Amino acid sequence: MAKYAMAINLDRCQGCRACMEACKIENNTPQAVFWMYVFRTETGEFPDTKMSFMPRPCQHCNNPPCVKVCPVGARFRRGDGIVLTDADRCIGCRYCEVACPYGVNYYNWRTPTEAFAAYDVDFTDPEVEAVTGGVIPPYKNPDLDRPQGDEQRMTAGSAHSVGVMEKCTFCVHRVEKGLEPACAEVCPVHAIHFGDVEDPEGPLSTYLRERAGFQLLEELGTDPSVYYVGGGPPTAETREIERPLTEVQR
Amino acid sequence: MTTETMTTKRELPQGIGRLSTGWIAFFAAMVAVTVVGLYAYFQQLGNGLIVTGLRDLGTGGGATWGLYVAYYVYFIGVSFAGITVAALIRIFKIEKLEPVARMGELLTVVSLILGALAILADLEHPWRAIVNLFEFGRPQSPFFGTFSMVIAGYLFASLVYLYVTSRRDAARLALQPSRFQGLYRFLAAGYEDTPEQRRIDRRATFWLAIAILPLLVIAHSTVGFVFGLQVGRPGWFGSLQAPGFVVLAGVSGIGNLIMLAAIVRWATKTEKRITVDAFAWLAKLLLGLLLVYLYFTAVEILTITYQASAAEQVLSDALLKGTYAWIFWGAIVSLVAAAVLLTWKALTRRWTIAAAVAAGILVNIGAVAKRYLIVVPSQTHGQLLPYPIGSYTPNWVEFAVVFGLFSLGAIMIGVFMKVFPIVPLEEAEQ
Amino acid sequence: MVDLTRRTFIKGSAAVAGGTLAAKRFLFGGFETVEPTNKLLLAQQIREDFVNTTCWIGKQDCGIVARRIDGRVVKLEGLDAHPKNKGTLCPKGVAQIAAVYDPQRVKTPLIRTNGKGGPGEFRAATWDEALELIASKVKPVLEEDPKLFLWQKGRSKAKVFYDTAFVKATGATKLGHGAYCSDAGYRALEYTLGTHAVLHPDFKHSKYILSWGWNITNAGGNKTCWITWPQQMLDAREKNGLKIVHLDPRLRSAGPFADKWVPIKPATDMAFALALCRELIALGHLDEPYLKTYTNSPELVGPDGLIVRGELPADAEEGDQPPALVWDLATGQAVPHAEAQDPALTGEFDVDGVPVKPAFQLFTEHVDPYTPEWASDITGIPADDIREIAAEFGENANIGASIVVDGVEIPYRPVGIMAYHMAQQELGFQTVRAMTMVSMLVGAPGAVGGQLSDFTWKIYKNYAKFENLKVEEGPYDFTLKNSKFFPINTGFPGIVAKVMQDPAKYEVEKLPKVAILHYVNPLTAFPSQKDFLDSYGKFEFVAVLSPWLSETADYFADVVLPTATMEKYEGPSSASDQYIDGKALRLPVMDPLFDSRGEIEIYIDLCEKLGVLYGEDGYIAQINKALPLEDEFALPLDEKPDVRDIFDRWSRMEGLEGGIEYFEKNGVWIKGEVAATKRYGYATDPPFKGALHRLYGESLLVAQRKQQELGADEVYWRDYTAFPTWRTPTFEQSPAEYDLTLISYHLVTHKQSRTSMIPLLTELSGKQRLDMNPETARRLGVGEGDEVVVESHNALTGETRQLRTVVALSEAFRPDVVGMPHHFGGWSPERNKGLGPSPNEIFYTGEGYMVCTADQSFHVKVRVLKG
Ligand SMILES: Nc1nc2c(c(=O)[nH]1)N[C@H]1C(S)=C(S)[C@@H](COP(=O)(O)OP(=O)(O)OC[C@H]3O[C@@H](n4cnc5c(=O)[nH]c(N)nc54)[C@H](O)[C@@H]3O)O[C@H]1N2
Ligand SMILES: Nc1nc2c(c(=O)[nH]1)N[C@H]1C(S)=C(S)[C@@H](COP(=O)(O)OP(=O)(O)OC[C@H]3O[C@@H](n4cnc5c(=O)[nH]c(N)nc54)[C@H](O)[C@@H]3O)O[C@H]1N2
Ligand code: SF4
Ligand code: SF4
Ligand code: SF4
Ligand code: SF4
Ligand code: SF4
Ligand SMILES: [Mo]
Repeated sequence: MAKYAMAINLDRCQGCRACMEACKIENNTPQAVFWMYVFRTETGEFPDTKMSFMPRPCQHCNNPPCVKVCPVGARFRRGDGIVLTDADRCIGCRYCEVACPYGVNYYNWRTPTEAFAAYDVDFTDPEVEAVTGGVIPPYKNPDLDRPQGDEQRMTAGSAHSVGVMEKCTFCVHRVEKGLEPACAEVCPVHAIHFGDVEDPEGPLSTYLRERAGFQLLEELGTDPSVYYVGGGPPTAETREIERPLTEVQR
Repeated sequence: MTTETMTTKRELPQGIGRLSTGWIAFFAAMVAVTVVGLYAYFQQLGNGLIVTGLRDLGTGGGATWGLYVAYYVYFIGVSFAGITVAALIRIFKIEKLEPVARMGELLTVVSLILGALAILADLEHPWRAIVNLFEFGRPQSPFFGTFSMVIAGYLFASLVYLYVTSRRDAARLALQPSRFQGLYRFLAAGYEDTPEQRRIDRRATFWLAIAILPLLVIAHSTVGFVFGLQVGRPGWFGSLQAPGFVVLAGVSGIGNLIMLAAIVRWATKTEKRITVDAFAWLAKLLLGLLLVYLYFTAVEILTITYQASAAEQVLSDALLKGTYAWIFWGAIVSLVAAAVLLTWKALTRRWTIAAAVAAGILVNIGAVAKRYLIVVPSQTHGQLLPYPIGSYTPNWVEFAVVFGLFSLGAIMIGVFMKVFPIVPLEEAEQ
Repeated sequence: MVDLTRRTFIKGSAAVAGGTLAAKRFLFGGFETVEPTNKLLLAQQIREDFVNTTCWIGKQDCGIVARRIDGRVVKLEGLDAHPKNKGTLCPKGVAQIAAVYDPQRVKTPLIRTNGKGGPGEFRAATWDEALELIASKVKPVLEEDPKLFLWQKGRSKAKVFYDTAFVKATGATKLGHGAYCSDAGYRALEYTLGTHAVLHPDFKHSKYILSWGWNITNAGGNKTCWITWPQQMLDAREKNGLKIVHLDPRLRSAGPFADKWVPIKPATDMAFALALCRELIALGHLDEPYLKTYTNSPELVGPDGLIVRGELPADAEEGDQPPALVWDLATGQAVPHAEAQDPALTGEFDVDGVPVKPAFQLFTEHVDPYTPEWASDITGIPADDIREIAAEFGENANIGASIVVDGVEIPYRPVGIMAYHMAQQELGFQTVRAMTMVSMLVGAPGAVGGQLSDFTWKIYKNYAKFENLKVEEGPYDFTLKNSKFFPINTGFPGIVAKVMQDPAKYEVEKLPKVAILHYVNPLTAFPSQKDFLDSYGKFEFVAVLSPWLSETADYFADVVLPTATMEKYEGPSSASDQYIDGKALRLPVMDPLFDSRGEIEIYIDLCEKLGVLYGEDGYIAQINKALPLEDEFALPLDEKPDVRDIFDRWSRMEGLEGGIEYFEKNGVWIKGEVAATKRYGYATDPPFKGALHRLYGESLLVAQRKQQELGADEVYWRDYTAFPTWRTPTFEQSPAEYDLTLISYHLVTHKQSRTSMIPLLTELSGKQRLDMNPETARRLGVGEGDEVVVESHNALTGETRQLRTVVALSEAFRPDVVGMPHHFGGWSPERNKGLGPSPNEIFYTGEGYMVCTADQSFHVKVRVLKG
């Protein structure tokens, strides 16, 4: 069986956030939800300032604390390493959220209608509905409504149901179709690579072999499937700048 | 002996069945608070947790666990008291505490129920949660798995215990015609208080007590594990977390029991039964646990200030001198004040109920604060990636629900007192 | 009022929807969404297809594949085959999908019902009515004087249809945004090297570049939108070990990619460039063969500043200049440049008793006082750093080396400059000239790995024109072309706004009467807002073509025509990344939403109403000429064309079998690799397409004298000097309490004012802010997120202006500089309110805040007060 992993090259990342946007459109995530998040940071003082950018999807840990704590097995790890949330089963206890060291979980505080209305775009406008058939958002991706994989389980990509946890799915619906995740696909400078690390001759293994890298918060023993190449992990001095609008609006 | 025996008085003891204006006023007030709590809860049920002050941690800059979880931990902690005391009485035969045993057991049951309600309040879809927990519950999860089972077991055991220790009183009350005679008969369930039955009862409760003690440690430890096993949140991971939880549970529980005992003593006019000695005993127990807890706290402060990792540093700064300093130092001050007060009383050997109650109040303030501090700051200030420092302020919905739970608990105890003797009846025939 | 009707409609439907929702909630609580819904969709058979198109937002028209479900676009992805974006997209490219469905788009043509100059009230109209109205207002003006019909555009796409064909068919005065972009840079390069572009390196072979105010991680750089250059830069870093020296008051523009950050003081770039020139000369990093052969460096200049010229050859044509003379060291006499064997670059010579010097000698003398120490005082950069950069630049240039590319041996100078908006400063034109000279000294222009400008080496028509600058006597037309004020002037909306406010001052007699605003939004996109507020009300009639009610439309449009966004045909656009050439078309991803239409269709109908569609010089004929469409592919002049058919003809004419279907199928037409002989100036035939690079700007000096002669004030002529000459910029003369310099820049998550209504992008970028160094903030007593008032000062008029915003701290910022992104400050549609102001509210335009070529500077002194 394949074992999926991602390599993110910090020596190429421009911090542009296209991956964030592609993730939002592909997965129809509502306002203030960032399954992919890109840190823009700086360290040091003028003029010895250094900047760096770091995209942060779910790390799809091989030893995932979020899976361990889930009381109902809604958070599960597939054999191919993809960690998913079964939206049908999740009871919204948010234990995975507090247990995850990477802060990648997003709870659905609002119904999709409310959450998209917070963008201040009235997608229920009759003239828009005439074109979209009333789906919200108008770019709703039908793939997300399907259960995925051998288990045929839901993957928290679908209805963004209120009261249910969700996070990056490694775009399982795309992977199942043989496509790259949306963030990897869009990256303007090809900083994100996705593939099978179990295949030693595969492009991802080769890519990783040729470059020095690290896993985020390695010391915690979570063993992420996301490998960072180049750059370096954030330190205590790392300050975030240019934060997106992250406030949940009603 | 001399007091209220059912043979001399036609009325049930301890004011059972009679509603004083004071009780009615108290009951009405509690109902009112509960209704407000319910209203808030329905707001939440209808509109979701968005109506609370909870938000995502990380980019969300909030805390996803807040007041509900803090109070859930607190309530579970309070449950420590009754069963411990009752068990201690059975095991060590501490006669003086006999009169507070039942209210202790009751406190355990009520606070476990409140704890369970607090956690249900934290879930947007309580029904779905219950159904899915039954269907898919995973024991590996400290929160709902081990915990829900232990708590459920704990609650069940406590109920059994309460029942078994109350059967004799039920049997005796069942002899006397009263409004509740049927209920008492039902509860007595054939128990006739024969010496043989009594002996069996004693043995059963003894062994039940022995069995409950480890269950109790496990239960409170697992609450500690909810946090203590999490490597990903500064301030949580640590081996002291579980013992700390157990001890603080004891502190808050005993403190609560002292308060409850004082109220019951006054309300049921059982001054003669519940002696200052009983309070002294409880207070000493409290002092012992409190000192252990303060020791843990000192170790904790040392650990977080001495060579903490950068992330822990942010958190300890927030606790010791930042956003949460007032809560943290407030808690320390009230716990230390209680310890000082109790130590002084212990040294002078001049115990008063007022002092014990004061200590009880102080430690509960401290306990609530500490529960809040274990739950919230690690989310808002415990980021391992350069997320913003978060903030969380519980809003009126959460406060209303929590107050509602408190008043619900008060209602349960108040109603119990009006249908059953909360202070075990004396051995009349002796 | 269409606005009102729409709102009531929404309210009505919202009430119904709200009611149902409330009922559901009451019965089921939040249950409605507990179950992942739409499982229904599972059973349903969906239809998926893909449409190839191009990005509608950015200026490089990246290739896009639109995924559609049952005809509804659900995702935009990069088109793999498109050389500019190679299968990727930037955040804007992805997010534009939300804009397509925006219910706040203008849905029908609108006609104004209230007075202009304030928030507009409109009523819905039919296309016929709206176009009829425009025609009735424009026609009389065309009859009177078509030049008084102003056609103004911003970054328009499909120039052939609009800028060329429509303008020619109507005879309108065309006004670009250009001067608000990098026009001063274009003029500098047209003047100096002859190319129509600014500066960029040959990334494929480059080893050392000066990233000079290049917003690497956010914006364009020369000629592209974004993706292309960062890709090439990263590849060059990985493959050639490219080193990037970043000159910018803020580091954020280069992010982690600056190997060395040179936090230069704003608007002192010319001083830095001149010092580099001096050092390169002092260190002897000079490519003499290039300077002697391909530049006017050896040409002899007399004491009057004019180039010494010989006799006109017998076969000279009318208007030819006599040949410039150089001193031939081989023969020891002055000969025409072309005939010299070894022209002298330095020394002093005697020609017919007149003491003359080669221009290069004069340049050496000119830059001699511009020492690194001198520049250090001005630029705030240590002299040693300047020396080091000059030395590294010179050494990396490998002067004398050559390399074989595509079988052609070409000089190899792997150093260059990437700069675009360096033109946006008061000395912009001359600054870009000075920067170009840095490259020229080492022979980098047109060399492999060296200094490139355009994607292929072409000579723009202005190169020849600039040999003699027209400086005429008034009265002038309202753009001030050929005036004594701005002898180099390609049209600048700021000047038109100034002229409209005070025509007499500029000796203008006739002001424009009617205007069509196409793809442009002066009120928020351009400095200064006040000038547009004060002048655009003077138009008798304004029509705006835009998918949204732009701020300019809100205040000044009599008629608004709703254009489609991605749902239209447009093009053809270049797909070149400078290494691979190609063409692409924007194909409609859906039918136009609401009652909007594509611009080409709109202009066809408008021209019909104006009576200029058919016939010999009509719009159709102009389209035939501009595209071009010839022979059997030409559109019949008497038949209203269909837009798809136009592109079909064009595709066939270009030799693509299947016509437009080729694009429908492939999205892009790859023409193949750009030959080295087209890209590198050295390798063209003749080298540099025959243009002699102008180190010495003789015609600038001549123009200056003419300006003086005609009585123009010093502000207009002082920068018309033969060599770039440093002076302290005007804005620096504001009183000392205006102690900070305000700069502005672009964010990768927005495109000018065009995307601010896409809330998905606002979510990513955050709202407006004032970037400042924490040290500055401490001094001012403010912190992150605090509200402040920014007050600017006009050093010439004493006027002050204010805006309010919030502080954002960054150590990657010069402490004496504050900055604001462009993009904000809109109020239309509604949701743009509250995003914060535009710096254009407090910038100034006009004298002192313009480049000598009628272009905008984006610097002003401000003070920051606690809000
Ligand atoms: N995402 C995005 N991309 C775009 C655009 C957009 O709006 N958004 N717009 C497109 C267009 S139309 C254009 S013209 C290009 C522009 O592309 P660029 O020229 O790369 O863009 P700017 O953002 O203006 O970057 C100017 C840089 O110069 C710096 N600067 C300001 N003043 C000075 C100075 O005096 N000296 C020096 N050395 N540096 C200075 C600023 O800090 C800023 O980093 O981008 C194109 N691409
Ligand atoms: N302070 C400051 N100001 C700047 C800059 C800066 O760096 N700082 N940059 C400058 C630069 S580089 C430039 S190029 C200019 C750009 O300035 P503009 O070219 O004016 O660009 P936009 O602000 O995007 O305005 C375009 C307008 O066109 C309309 N529009 C959008 N899409 C379409 C369409 O499909 N069809 C039609 N017909 N109309 C459409 C919308 O109303 C939109 O407001 O801004 C300049 N202004
Ligand atoms: S799209 Fe690529 S370059 Fe942009 S932020 Fe994401 S990883 Fe970085
Ligand atoms: S990053 Fe967090 S959510 Fe993702 S697998 Fe690891 S622990 Fe779970
Ligand atoms: S929120 Fe859902 S997925 Fe997360 S732990 Fe709770 S039940 Fe599991
Ligand atoms: S893999 Fe998919 S879900 Fe995960 S961050 Fe990338 S785009 Fe989002
Ligand atoms: S770089 Fe420009 S043209 Fe390309 S996708 Fe982004 S906005 Fe569009
Ligand atoms: Mo531009």
